Formats: sequence, structure tokens, C-alpha cells
Amino acid sequence: MAEMWIHMGPQHPMTHGLWNLRIKVNGETITDAVPELGYLHRSVEKIGERRKYFMNTTLTDRLCYASAMTWTHCYCLAAEELMGVEAPLRAKYIRTVVLELQRIASHLMWLGAYLPDLGLITGFLYGMRDREMFLNLLEIPSGGRLLYNYVKIGGVKRDLPPGFEAKAERVMQTLERRLKEYENLYDNSKIFRMRNDGVGVYSASDAINWGITGPNLRSAGVPFDLRQADSYDAYPELDFEPVTNTAAGGGSDCFSRYRQRVDEMHQSMDLVRQALAKMPEGKVMADSVPLRASGEAFRRTEDSRGEALMYLVGDGSDRPYRWKIRSPMFTTVSAAPHFLKGYKVADVPAIMGSIDMCIGETDK
Amino acid sequence: MSRQQVRGNPRMRKGLGSRTSDPATMMEDPPSGDWLTLRSDQFLNWVDDAVYNIAEKTGIRDVVNRVTRPIFNWGLRYSPWPLHFGIMCCALEMGAAGGPDHDSERMGVVYRSSPRQCDILIVNGPVCEKLRPKLKTLYEQMADPKWVIAMGECAIGGGPYWDSYSVVAGADTFIPVDVYIPGCPVRPEALMHGFLTLQKKIREKEPGYFLRR
Amino acid sequence: METGQLVQQLAQHDGASDGSVLRSNVGRISITREASQSFFSALKNDLGFDHCSLISAVDNQTGFELVYHFSIVDVMGQMLEVHIDLPRDTPTVDSITHLWGGADWHEREAYDLMGIYFIGHPDLKRVLLPDGFAGHPLRKDYVYEIHEEEW
Repeated sequence: MAEMWIHMGPQHPMTHGLWNLRIKVNGETITDAVPELGYLHRSVEKIGERRKYFMNTTLTDRLCYASAMTWTHCYCLAAEELMGVEAPLRAKYIRTVVLELQRIASHLMWLGAYLPDLGLITGFLYGMRDREMFLNLLEIPSGGRLLYNYVKIGGVKRDLPPGFEAKAERVMQTLERRLKEYENLYDNSKIFRMRNDGVGVYSASDAINWGITGPNLRSAGVPFDLRQADSYDAYPELDFEPVTNTAAGGGSDCFSRYRQRVDEMHQSMDLVRQALAKMPEGKVMADSVPLRASGEAFRRTEDSRGEALMYLVGDGSDRPYRWKIRSPMFTTVSAAPHFLKGYKVADVPAIMGSIDMCIGETDK
Repeated sequence: MSRQQVRGNPRMRKGLGSRTSDPATMMEDPPSGDWLTLRSDQFLNWVDDAVYNIAEKTGIRDVVNRVTRPIFNWGLRYSPWPLHFGIMCCALEMGAAGGPDHDSERMGVVYRSSPRQCDILIVNGPVCEKLRPKLKTLYEQMADPKWVIAMGECAIGGGPYWDSYSVVAGADTFIPVDVYIPGCPVRPEALMHGFLTLQKKIREKEPGYFLRR
Repeated sequence: METGQLVQQLAQHDGASDGSVLRSNVGRISITREASQSFFSALKNDLGFDHCSLISAVDNQTGFELVYHFSIVDVMGQMLEVHIDLPRDTPTVDSITHLWGGADWHEREAYDLMGIYFIGHPDLKRVLLPDGFAGHPLRKDYVYEIHEEEW
């Protein structure tokens, strides 16, 4: 049978984001794949060196736009480590609440984009409808729907208004009811199971070697969660365990990655409830945040997609000397050829959709 | 094969289906009046002479346009089909505009995956140097009439990345833009307003389409 | 193993210097580039650092610096930051792709944006910039035209 290279992208309904996947097919079976990034390279690291430290929070929001709050938070943690500033306790709790709500919104975005890839277009409408509830909730303290600029170096921008807890509780109860409905709809659907079970399998040791982190790693059965291992903000005081899933034959397949994200949504709601219950009173911003910083510092956080790490080098001026961003999707996309081989062309949307790509963060 | 060895009737007209491989006879113009066997560029020239120029000169084209323009314009206005193309954050808001909360499908907006089937190209993010030739190719693949919506600050003038070495300063540096929607990111309500503005522009500015070259 | 002990053990490796403890679970060490291969093998095989988090390239104007971050995938979350100094005119270092597959694209990005050449990398070419791009933009001496005036 003839072998040929097929280009999927940059304009392709499957590619969430702008990247090019060249697959080598022998008939319908994939024998090799070469992903190509760079269509969204905005040189954030270089222009970040031209802006002051506090101005870069507008750029970090736009790194992964589906999960903007977590990236700004990672940058703010790194900058706080560099400057020697610590956010007050109430700000840490607010950050935790807002981060977990953002994680739920990001996973709902993933669900709304993954299901149409498999042909289940109703899932898009359900995902968008539920995500709107959470975006409206996040708009209350921050003012923005998608890009917030809410987490600042030294705290958060403004306090949660009164009545936020009641609204959040109502929204979360609605989502729990609907998630039960979706689990019934998708998990018991024969077509969904056929497209997801045993597709895109990689083992846990392979995943660790290739640098895969986050839900993609936990769906292979590895209980590694940076909120527990390298804790920050209010997470040390909350009570939770990493959620894991495993595919039927060991390792991680598309179905276990789907179940992982749904289970993480439940876990996030539980964390939000705990944090809102335990929230102390106090200020939301540190007393004084210096403009200048020198030295080097890094901080890593559990982003919705994996391990986000920011490394900052300061030279004593008010602008960073070097800013390096680690994106979890960068290494996952580089490992994609390994778990695409052997499957059919029609499995490509399922596999590349199930790892939850966001190209904004890979192409800094 | 030379001309004498052609199968069938040797007096048969030679067009694109001709069996000759002799270059001297391949590109020869067919006898005049032979519109059945013309090449596509010859056919267009024939149409020009026989139909288009006559309709233009006698004014029939204007008369028919006056009747058909409202109808075609109504069709164009209420079925803007954008390309299923998302660059960055504004693409998520474009998706949210298609969701149940702000329903863009009630305006006739149906996202198509192939540029050949689309009317609108929504540029919803910063255009990098690597993407620019691909975006130009997508724009050129779309058939007339087509419009471009520059959605968001990145497409209008580079946005927050105006001082980057790899971001083009706005989509209108290489393709003509019809509607600019400010915002960072553009709220779905603003995108709906952008679609309405485009509809107004189509109503006012699009000429008739009868026999238009 | 506790961070202080880890740093002390690593400091005994030849070529290592400047060991310190940054946070309770983060250690830091500097290594010369000649000793880097044996050091990284020991790190992966003996000490169990199985996850390569990040490879950053910094342009100190007198030379380059590579900063590696490694971590152990377990509940303690132990991390190590390794610094290698490179001279300005020959920024080359051995690749660690054979030890950690995840380092592959990090090294390509360091080559693409900073111009550091990794010896032994299976496929060292540009990953983010277009193939015909000239220069390595994140270097401090890379000059490009900005469309508006400085604010």
C-alpha cells in the first residue's frame, strides 16, 4: 500500500489551536507523525523583558487563554519569590477559590471542544452552556470573562464581593446535576466507548520519561499532583488526595483521560467549598510590593493541563532580565508521535483532543 | 501519435479530449464557432464577446441587476458563513458566541471547515510571520464575494504583541479588512454587533451580481 | 532524601560547585559542561530524578548559562536546579535526550531562540520560528525593528 504524508493543519477543525500535524499514513494506519508548532509564536519571553514586572500579568493571561488565571498565578508566585513578597492569607484563599473555578471552566471548555471532535456535537452546546455559568461567576470579582488580570504580584486585585459564596454554591450544584446527566449520556454510549477505549494508549513510565504531567499523567495511574507535592497558596490547609484513573489495559487511554477530567471537576468543586468555608478575614494585597528585583527564582504550579513553571532572572532593574516559561503542552505534543503510531487517521481527533491541547502556551 | 493515426473520424474536431501528443497540434486553436470544444480561457473569452459585453452595452445588465440585487443581497446578508478558523483567545469567544447563551446561528452564521465554502474570514488573533502566508492562501481560496472581520486588538494592530519580532502589525497589512471589532478579548456580544455591522455594510455597499466579472 | 543531604552528595561529583538549598524541597548546584554527561547519568540512574521539567538558556552578556530543572515524580516533589556556564563563542553542550525524552523539544527551543548547540541531539532544528529565520532572537544583541516609539 502506498505511504504518504498528510498535513492536518494549521486550519483544521480538529486542531484546537494553530499547529500543523504531518502524519505518514500507510493506507489508513499512521506510521509516523511530525507535529509542527510556531504558528502562534508571539515572543512573549522577549517582550516580557521590555515590560515591568507588574505589566507582564496581561501577557501571562494570554499564554493559555482557556485557563488564564492559572498562568498569571504561576507568574505572580515566581515574581513574589524573586522579590521576597508574600501574599496575605485571605488573598491565598481567594486565589485558591478562583483557580479551582478556572480549572472547572477549562475542563468544561475541553469537554465542549472534545465531543464535537468525536462527532457528538451536542456536547459542544452543553459544554458552552455550563462554562458560561462559571465565566459569569469569575466575572464577578475580576471583571473579565476570559482574560482576567486578577491575580497580582502580592495578592489579588480586589476582594470577593458579598454573596459570592451563595452564587458559587448554586452554580456548583447545577453543574453536579448536569455532570451526572452527562456521565449517563457519554459513559454508556457505545459509540463514545468505541472511539475512546484503547485509543491513544501510553504507559505511566513512558509518560514520565516523555515529560507528560498533569491530568494526562494522572490518567495513567500516577498520583502526582503539584498541589500536594509542591504545595502553594491555601492548598496545604485543604484536605484532598490526587485523583487517578487507569485504562482497562493499564496506562492511559482516551477514556481514562476523559474520566480524569470529569473527576477533577468534582474534586475542584469540593476544594472550592472547603476554601470558601475556611476563608479568613484580612487584606487581599501585600503592604508593599517592590518595583525592582534582582536574583533568580522559579515556581511551578498545577495548571489545568499539567506542570507550569516560570523562571525569572532579575538584574536589579524594574524589568525582568530573563523570563522562561514552561508549558506542559510543549512536551506532550512532542511525545504525540509515540502514541499516535498504529492507530487510524480517524483516531487523530480523538487522541489529540483527549490530551487537551492549548497552543497559546506552547508557542510562547 | 501523429494526426494521421487518430482513431475514429479524422475530420473530428480536436479539443481537450484530443489524442494527439504532438505539441504543434496540441495547443492549436479550434475552428471558430466551435464552442463545444474550447479550453476554459477560450470559453471565458467567448462568453465575454457573446453575452457579457452585449449585456453591458445595451444596459440589460443594469435592468436585471435592479431586480436581482435585492434578492441576492438578502441572501448574502443573512447567510454569512465564516471559516472554522481560530487563532487565539478571541477564537474561544467566537466559539462562545456560537453557544446557547449568545446564539450566533440565529443570524445565519454556520461555520464551515473549507475556505471554498465560506464568505467571511474572521481573523481572531495575532498573525505571526509563520502564519501569514497560510492565511493569505486561505483568503485567496475563498470565492468572491468575501469579507474579512478583524476581531480583537491583535488583528487590528498587533495588540499586546505590537513590539514583537514575529507578530505582524495587524491583519490589514496584507489582506483587506471590512469590519474591525475592538476588544481584548472581544466579548461575544461585540462579535454579534460586528456581524450586524457587516450585514449593514453588505446591504449598503455590495453591488449587484448579475453577470459580474 | 533530604535536600541538604542531596546537595552535599552531589557536590562531591567532580566539576560540581556552588551547592545550596533554595527551598525545603529544591536544591541548586553548578556543574561544568565537561562533567555534565556523567553528572546527569548519575542524577537519572542513581538518584531517581525521572522528570526533566525545563531547560532554560540565559544570555549573560559575557557568556551563556543553561539552567536545568529536574524533579522526582512522587509525593515529596523533590527538585534540583542545575546551572552550566558556557562560553560566548562556543555555546555547545552534550544533549540529554537519551536520558530524558522530554528534554528533546526543550533543547530544540534553546537552540532555536538562543543558539545553544546540543551535541548528540537526534534532530536539532528550529521548533518555534520558521525554518528560514536568521538569528537567535532571545540573545541580548539581537536587534529588530519595533514599529512604534518606546514608551
